[in-house]
Amino acid sequence: MAIEVQKLNVYIKGNHILKDVSLTLPERQITCIIGPSGCGKSTLLRTLNRLIDTTEGVRVEGKVLVDGTDIIGSGAEIIELRRKIGLVSQRPCPLPMSIFENVAYGCRINKMFKHRRQLVYHVQRKLKEVGLFDEIKGRMRAPATRLSIGQQQRLCLARSLAVQPEYILADEATSALDPISSKTVEDLFVSFKQQYTIVMVTHTLHQALRIADNVVFMYLGEVIETGPASDVFNHPQHELTQRYLSGIFS
Amino acid sequence: MTAGNRILKDRVAHGGMLAMTIVGVLLVAVIAAGLYLKSRAVLDSTSLWTLLCGSEWRPMQGKFGFLPFLAGTLWVTMLSIALALPVSLLTALFLTEYARPVVRKCVFPLLDILAALPSVIYGVWGVLVVVPWISRRLAPLFVDFSTGYTVLAAGIVLGVMVVPLLVSLFIEVFSTIPKELREASLALGATRWQTAWKVVCRKTLPGIMASTVLAISRALGETIAVLMVCGCVIGIPRGVLEPCYPIPALIANNYGEMLSMPLYESALMFAALLLFAVVLVFNLASRIVLNRIGCDNS
Amino acid sequence: MKVSRLKRIRETLAKGMMWCSMLLVFGLLVSVIWTIFSKGMKAMSWDMLLKLPGGGFYIGKEGGFLNAIVGSLYIVGASTLLGLVVSVPVVFFLNVYLKKGSRLAYVARLAFDVLFGVPSIVYGAFGFTVMVYFGLRASLLGGIIVITLLIIPIFIRTMDEATRNFPRDILDASFALGATRWETLKVVVRQIAPGIATAALLSVGRAIGDAASVMFTAGYTDSIPTSLSQPAATLPLAVFFQLSSPIPEVVDRAYAAALVLTVTVLLISIVGRFITTRFSKNKV
Repeated sequence: MAIEVQKLNVYIKGNHILKDVSLTLPERQITCIIGPSGCGKSTLLRTLNRLIDTTEGVRVEGKVLVDGTDIIGSGAEIIELRRKIGLVSQRPCPLPMSIFENVAYGCRINKMFKHRRQLVYHVQRKLKEVGLFDEIKGRMRAPATRLSIGQQQRLCLARSLAVQPEYILADEATSALDPISSKTVEDLFVSFKQQYTIVMVTHTLHQALRIADNVVFMYLGEVIETGPASDVFNHPQHELTQRYLSGIFS
Repeated sequence: MTAGNRILKDRVAHGGMLAMTIVGVLLVAVIAAGLYLKSRAVLDSTSLWTLLCGSEWRPMQGKFGFLPFLAGTLWVTMLSIALALPVSLLTALFLTEYARPVVRKCVFPLLDILAALPSVIYGVWGVLVVVPWISRRLAPLFVDFSTGYTVLAAGIVLGVMVVPLLVSLFIEVFSTIPKELREASLALGATRWQTAWKVVCRKTLPGIMASTVLAISRALGETIAVLMVCGCVIGIPRGVLEPCYPIPALIANNYGEMLSMPLYESALMFAALLLFAVVLVFNLASRIVLNRIGCDNS
Repeated sequence: MKVSRLKRIRETLAKGMMWCSMLLVFGLLVSVIWTIFSKGMKAMSWDMLLKLPGGGFYIGKEGGFLNAIVGSLYIVGASTLLGLVVSVPVVFFLNVYLKKGSRLAYVARLAFDVLFGVPSIVYGAFGFTVMVYFGLRASLLGGIIVITLLIIPIFIRTMDEATRNFPRDILDASFALGATRWETLKVVVRQIAPGIATAALLSVGRAIGDAASVMFTAGYTDSIPTSLSQPAATLPLAVFFQLSSPIPEVVDRAYAAALVLTVTVLLISIVGRFITTRFSKNKV
């Protein structure tokens, strides 16, 4: 249930965005990808669920093994892959539907339930998992955009969880939130790691310090250093990592 | 030049431009007023109800029932929209959700051309291609004889004419959807089509409807192309294979001869006023919706 | 797995339908252009372009439709110029003099949007009424006035679009140098020149092809008008009138006139594309 990236190269309109990236994302752990902006963190994340395909002029080389199957290559079951890999984006983006329908959307798309009762039950359970159920009980039919930003982000999380993914990718999932909501979402991620393999791009070192089991440090499209969080933070091997961690450049 | 002089110049320019803008805005009112004044004569002689719902058209005896023309207009417009809507929607979805930029770059100029061709050209095309096709191929399957100059011919020609307008409006509307929203759906395992249909179309439903209304109002007023293929037989069409006589065609056809009869002229002006009013309302409504959504082009 | 196969089938189906509608649209375009070209080329000759209708023209004798070409040129040229003179200040006023979010600007834009949607037959009818009121007959002047009214909304909308994305900083820079708003016009005009050109081309395209509005206002004649008060022939009407003739030679001339019209519009479209792609790169 791990993701393995081998010699991944991504070019967008001729620019070499990811250079020979090789790494392993161990299962049931939180892996944080850190690095200065523009270093290819998001691109890496978007390659993992092939959302990169929607980018103009993109070329991907190398291998990404999810559960042992290569997902790059045209034969890959992208749709099934995307179901298996949940995504929480930087800004919460609720679909133009009610709260209930937002969570149910993925289930319907994937035809997960035969009976409506099962669907309702499932949606409620997922909303409970993200701690949203009690807050919005009785407002399930309200448009999702009425929620606060923090609630919206949790809704998006519930929406991702509803299709029963095995992996969760989070692209700076807390950066648009206020500190308190940010903390709530962060705690959710920590509590989820028993069930899911979580890959997180983060812009704050503190967050990575708090929650990461593993850390990947990227710089200008290359993976500079990777390993267990305690090792990387306490004994960085590479000079760039040391300088980044000590805040010389960010 | 002194500063005072320059400021004065600025003020004068300001006034002049303001005046021009206001005149432009007032033009709408002036057109309405002009047409109304002219159609007062017929409104005085015949009740509005008889004008709209009467089907007797005898200008020589002063009987003006617009029902056949209204029915013709309605038939042709609705048919054209029914034909053009699915095609335009699918084309626009294809161009925004599927097509690569290279394809778009090739397709847009072609759409431009389609939009730019004068209506008389479409009329010629209709007479040369659509009408014979209906009369020789299609109509014999259903009726004994048809000249081909039918509601269907007008609907097809008009449909082709509104496609570029609809496509460009739809593309404009779809492009207001942020990329993240599509990705959120894709990331859940939805296919592109599911995303396009359940997210993009759903979110832009008001925009789609407004664009359609705009296209309807364009189709309502189209004159020459329709006039050339509609058959121009007064009567309420009972099917798409019958001739019809829409309002714009009526105005265009009878303008020259009506001058001798004030009441006739007034009736035609009333027809123009009717057209203007409907188009005005449709346009206003759809523009306001489109502006609110945040797309205000084309 | 089963679900994903179902999804894939639907996806393919949808994609197929989209391709079909795309192909249909362009099949129709090809059909229209092909019809006009194949019919028009057969009937086309230098005589058509360079000669006036001779005696017995309408029963298939000698002559061409130079009258319509020249008439169209007169009307289009004059109304484009007039339209430009009226629209540039309005656009400038909307974008520079009025503040962002101004009520008047909103109403004015809405009004021009609505005017843009008014059918040309209504313009024609209205124009005719006004002409009658002033005691004018169908004439070159009437055609010019009505076509000007018709294209002003196009002018304003297209230029407004080009101007609306106008960088506010440039205006501020100009104001900061102590220029009045009027003096800033020069800066703006230079910046939106490609937009003006596109707008002009669009208007020309619309003006040259419009038949319904000039039908009563410009009339039709076999000679080239020598004054504003004489009637003028136009290309679309030449197509329209000759097409309804029972004599094949005359109908052929309609095709030839249609060809001229189509080629003109195609050229305008291509040049317009060229201008937008070529010059929009140099903009700030």
